[in-house]
Amino acid sequence: MVVVWNDPINLMSYVAYVFRKLFGYSEEKANLLMLDVHEKGRAAVSSGTRTEAERDVNRLHSHGLWATMEHDE
Amino acid sequence: MFFRRPKRLFVPLGDDRFEVTLDPNVRQGLLTLADQLDEVQTSDRPEARRLFPTAYTDDPERDAGYQIFARDQLIEKRRAAVEIMRTTAEADELTGEELASWMGVLNDLRLVLGTMLDVSEEDTFVDPDHPHAESQLLYRFLSELVHEMVESLTTSLPETEDQ
Repeated sequence: MVVVWNDPINLMSYVAYVFRKLFGYSEEKANLLMLDVHEKGRAAVSSGTRTEAERDVNRLHSHGLWATMEHDE
Repeated sequence: MFFRRPKRLFVPLGDDRFEVTLDPNVRQGLLTLADQLDEVQTSDRPEARRLFPTAYTDDPERDAGYQIFARDQLIEKRRAAVEIMRTTAEADELTGEELASWMGVLNDLRLVLGTMLDVSEEDTFVDPDHPHAESQLLYRFLSELVHEMVESLTTSLPETEDQ
């Protein structure tokens, strides 16, 4: 799965916008994920094969977000 | 005296177009900053660290493999975005893609400045006597611009419902 980590630089509005743009999430879901990142320090934002996850991490990195890959529990 | 919300800097016109009302001096200043991004991203300066995030925190060997292809890709994407900014710097109207390129460049500049200033989420005001006061002001200004860009670009996102 793909995890996005909290950082003190990216704006909350920007993070939610990137989730909507990249994953097509609704405004509500994007905001909930953004708040998870902000308040809990991290949120799982997508999952899939390793190739799919690496592609998503790369897209998030190209938008300036700190994303990493983890094995699903 | 009544306070009015200032006119938006990036006014959605519909049909994926945005009017830009930025002052010419501000545009030139942003472009000058954007031109410095390439120098930073191709250096080993510590403030460039945030431009190339770790992908595999628990597997340094796999992360090194990822960085080999991702680093060059990110550098080229940033160069392309700066080039779009350069060719549209004086434009009165931008497409959504062009405005998103501007936003990407400004956000990358924030990543560099924010890393250099070691900002925290508790930093809410600028101390005018701080040795980095000018950089702090610039960081705040870029934050305002990015936020305005997000607000405008959000109007172009399709309404979606989650499955």
